[in-house]
Amino acid sequence: MVVMALMRIVEQLAEGDTAQFAVASASELELVRRWCAKTGNTVVSTMMVEQDAGHVTVGRGRPRDPATMIPADRMPGARLWLYTNFHCNLACDYCCVASSPKTDPRLLGIETIETLVVEAAAWGVRELYLTGGEPFLLPDIDAIVRACVGQLPTTLLTNGMLFRGLGLRKLRAMPREGFALQISVDSSTAEVHDSHRGAGSWKRALAGIRVALDEGFTVRVAATISAHDDPALDELHALFDGLGIPRADQVIRPIALQGVADEGVTFSRESLIPEVTVTAEGIYWHPVAALDADALVSRQILPLAPSLDLVSDLFAKQWSSMTAASAMFACA
Amino acid sequence: MSQLSGAPLLVGAVAYTPNVVPIWEGIRDYFDTPDTAMDFVLFSNYGRLVDALRAGMIDIAWNTNLAYARSVLQTDGHVRALAMRDTDAAFSTVFVAAAGSGWSGPGDIGSRRLALGSADSAHAAILPLHYLRAAGIDVEHMQLKRFDSDIGKHGDTGRSELDAIDAVLAGDADVAAIGITVWENIGRGDLMPGTLEQVWQTEKYSHCMFTALDTLPESVSAPWVAKLLAMDWEVPAHRRILELEGLTRWVEPHLDGYTGLFEAIAQQGVDSRW
Repeated sequence: MVVMALMRIVEQLAEGDTAQFAVASASELELVRRWCAKTGNTVVSTMMVEQDAGHVTVGRGRPRDPATMIPADRMPGARLWLYTNFHCNLACDYCCVASSPKTDPRLLGIETIETLVVEAAAWGVRELYLTGGEPFLLPDIDAIVRACVGQLPTTLLTNGMLFRGLGLRKLRAMPREGFALQISVDSSTAEVHDSHRGAGSWKRALAGIRVALDEGFTVRVAATISAHDDPALDELHALFDGLGIPRADQVIRPIALQGVADEGVTFSRESLIPEVTVTAEGIYWHPVAALDADALVSRQILPLAPSLDLVSDLFAKQWSSMTAASAMFACA
Repeated sequence: MSQLSGAPLLVGAVAYTPNVVPIWEGIRDYFDTPDTAMDFVLFSNYGRLVDALRAGMIDIAWNTNLAYARSVLQTDGHVRALAMRDTDAAFSTVFVAAAGSGWSGPGDIGSRRLALGSADSAHAAILPLHYLRAAGIDVEHMQLKRFDSDIGKHGDTGRSELDAIDAVLAGDADVAAIGITVWENIGRGDLMPGTLEQVWQTEKYSHCMFTALDTLPESVSAPWVAKLLAMDWEVPAHRRILELEGLTRWVEPHLDGYTGLFEAIAQQGVDSRW
């Protein structure tokens, strides 16, 4: 009975304060939206763990300064995503950028990255995220990481399957301070994980996590959950707990209906809190939509600052709209 | 004028939610001309608010309907009603039951278990019984389940009405008496689909009222009331305050709407300190 909970809690909040509510279905989320519209309150964000279930954050009153309602590390411009490449050793059936061994690599290139991260730091970006594709397919990924970490705290997203031979040497050449690896594990069982990511991938991902931990790296884990699978969240957390990953470093999110995914949550640029994303083909609103023409901000990658300014301005206008409700989609 | 000589007009209100602070700061900031300048003071309950008005500690009290009635009764009528919300001029109590009850009208309520809100809430306890009695129901023999939460705040928090609804949903009561604002805020049941339906609604009556002693000079109150009535829903800065306070415009007093409450207070022997 989410509306009764809203009535009891939100009505007692001071203007601008927020409270989080669990929603168990899309219809319940819609009831929250309708109640907020009716009573002059605001759906600040939604964080859906599964396609239709998750949490919604409601703010008392109409939208105010987003800086008072969105954590500083999630404000537009706080994070900069760099798609280092698009090719991958896997071909996950839900990949939001359709990566596979056959995908055109579309490399961003270390020289461009070096320029981008200097500009990003000067503009006020707080964190860098490197993703792909599989970044460990790049022969110079260790140099790219060092260039990034030299400017800002950096996280690299990987499937963790290439920490052998040359890959292990590249890993060992990466800094331990100011740097984290985020490794994908989608299930507590090999069966579910491998059904989306390929045979044997679960076992190798877990081995990769152990290698990275043994090498002294900060490791986060990220699970992408299909609505068709039993999420078995307790078992998944238990697996991650057993590996020694703190709960705060365990990211769980649904599949996004992007790329090759044939299911998943849908977003529009207007409904997403932006996380500026650079690919070889341009600058996008959010990493989950890096192939989406509607999410394209600019074809011009450099200089970066105009695009960061533009995204911030567009978001400010979006936020001030009476009916806008933006969702945080947790890629990391 | 209040005992604070030379100070701006002092308005008293009750702090029933943290939101009262931004509401009154917004109202204070709106009264930005020398002839209307005001400040506010918050009380923890309506008993103290009416005491402060009678004692001259404040110039104007933002009263509930019960506090307005108390102000009238405790001063032998030496008060003036200044203004109210449009929503106060057309308040009512709604009786709701579980969806599918098929009940309609006061006759279907009299023989049921009735959940009431705080005993000092005019809309959720005092007036529901008054209007049932007026409709011929023997309220003395009804099964009543009272939720006396937040006594002193005259039902402003809404908590007791939600408790009454929960009692119906849990099967511990058959019918709940709630204010029209709570019923509206759950979309007249549409936002809780398949759970509640309206059985009966009382006639309209008046709710909150800005109240002053009749010793407050007209030359002081008139500019303030004129400025209050000029708040405009179409002005964003005004709308924020109006929306938080639950109105679209301030209106002149509707005193006819208190007749039922004065009768109910006398009939029910309502505690003079509430």
